[in-house]
Amino acid sequence: MPGYKLYYFNVRGRGELSRLILHYAGVPFDDFRFEGKDWPAFKSKMPFGQVPVLEVDGEKMLAQSHTIARYLARQHGLAGQNDWEQSQADMYVDCIYDLHGAMRTPTWETDPVKQKELFDKVNQDTIQPHLEKVEQHLVKNGGGHLVGQGLTWADIAYYAYFTTPIMTRLGGEVFSKAPQLKKLIETVGNNPNIKKYVETRPVTSG
Amino acid sequence: MVHYKLIYFNLRGRGELARLVLHHQEVAFEDFRFEREEWPKYKAGTPFGQVPVLEVDGKPLAQSNAIARYLARQHGLAGQNEWEQSQADMYVDCIYDLISGTRPIIYETDKEKQKEILQKFLKETVNPHLEKLEQQLIKNGTGFLVGKSITWADLAYYSFFSPMTERFGDSVIDNSPHLKKLVEHVANIPQIKKYVETRPKTTL
Repeated sequence: MPGYKLYYFNVRGRGELSRLILHYAGVPFDDFRFEGKDWPAFKSKMPFGQVPVLEVDGEKMLAQSHTIARYLARQHGLAGQNDWEQSQADMYVDCIYDLHGAMRTPTWETDPVKQKELFDKVNQDTIQPHLEKVEQHLVKNGGGHLVGQGLTWADIAYYAYFTTPIMTRLGGEVFSKAPQLKKLIETVGNNPNIKKYVETRPVTSG
Repeated sequence: MVHYKLIYFNLRGRGELARLVLHHQEVAFEDFRFEREEWPKYKAGTPFGQVPVLEVDGKPLAQSNAIARYLARQHGLAGQNEWEQSQADMYVDCIYDLISGTRPIIYETDKEKQKEILQKFLKETVNPHLEKLEQQLIKNGTGFLVGKSITWADLAYYSFFSPMTERFGDSVIDNSPHLKKLVEHVANIPQIKKYVETRPKTTL
């Protein structure tokens, strides 16, 4: 079993997907977290001055949150059953990356009234249209999962990013027109390994 | 023989990496391009209301990097083993972030403001990245980003930095001799050169 050390801030953010994948798969790892003030000490050691970074067997480093998550998913049977399914999973995770990107500007807005306006706009212009399409695909795929007939990291990604930051900012009403996706996210959340991790992980703001 | 149809605007943009992968590996495909005004006709037929979309024997795949990665893996440009494949993924993700950073610049209509945003982007985002990138290129020691031979990651860096230098000047990568050499190398690959000379001329 390779030795994994995941470097990230003590937040969920862009590190949580990899943590969830490893917990789901029951793979032990060093969940190395640090506070913002300690970041300067680690920054120069990272391949591109950013985190998350996955260090494998104490020697090789991999950067970029979704590259790390994809690598771990592939190593531990969560990427899809064949090349085509793997690409479909990649596609969904890229969609999530874009949704997360769209949430960033409103997140930085300091005026609470303006912030709510911006979040509502992102919901209306970006998230709801996306959810409409995802619902159609989920129904067409049958079986309740995004890709193929079993859980992939794509399902975990939707769970990760919808629980934080989308639902924390927009509430559960975001799924008012997406019951299938809501069900999928609940299913992932109810997985015993995920549930145990979520109950015991550090409580963080984001 | 599988039939590929790549559906995108008549632009380089987020479709070009997939085109470069296919041209580099000399894989035939239908390079379906449309003008902006025609987009409403095609939008509803796409998986997420966006392009590029790759149809593989009619089955759709969306998201520019998922498409390019699929094609790279199918046609031997993804890396020699799983670790190299991840390294290539990592570099392409870096480029994706840089592309996103150019959007405020491209869409800024005030020339002075555009120059300001560009300079800020170069100073705060591009240059720090290039500093690290040069170190990685030196460390890898082969002239390529990953392993001993070209991967889609090298094409991604060419695809981003070649238009950047065309548009904003060579100074963008003046301090990155290894990247400069890599970009020139890719530009001079016969099948890339031929495609670039004959492709439609587009602003983006």
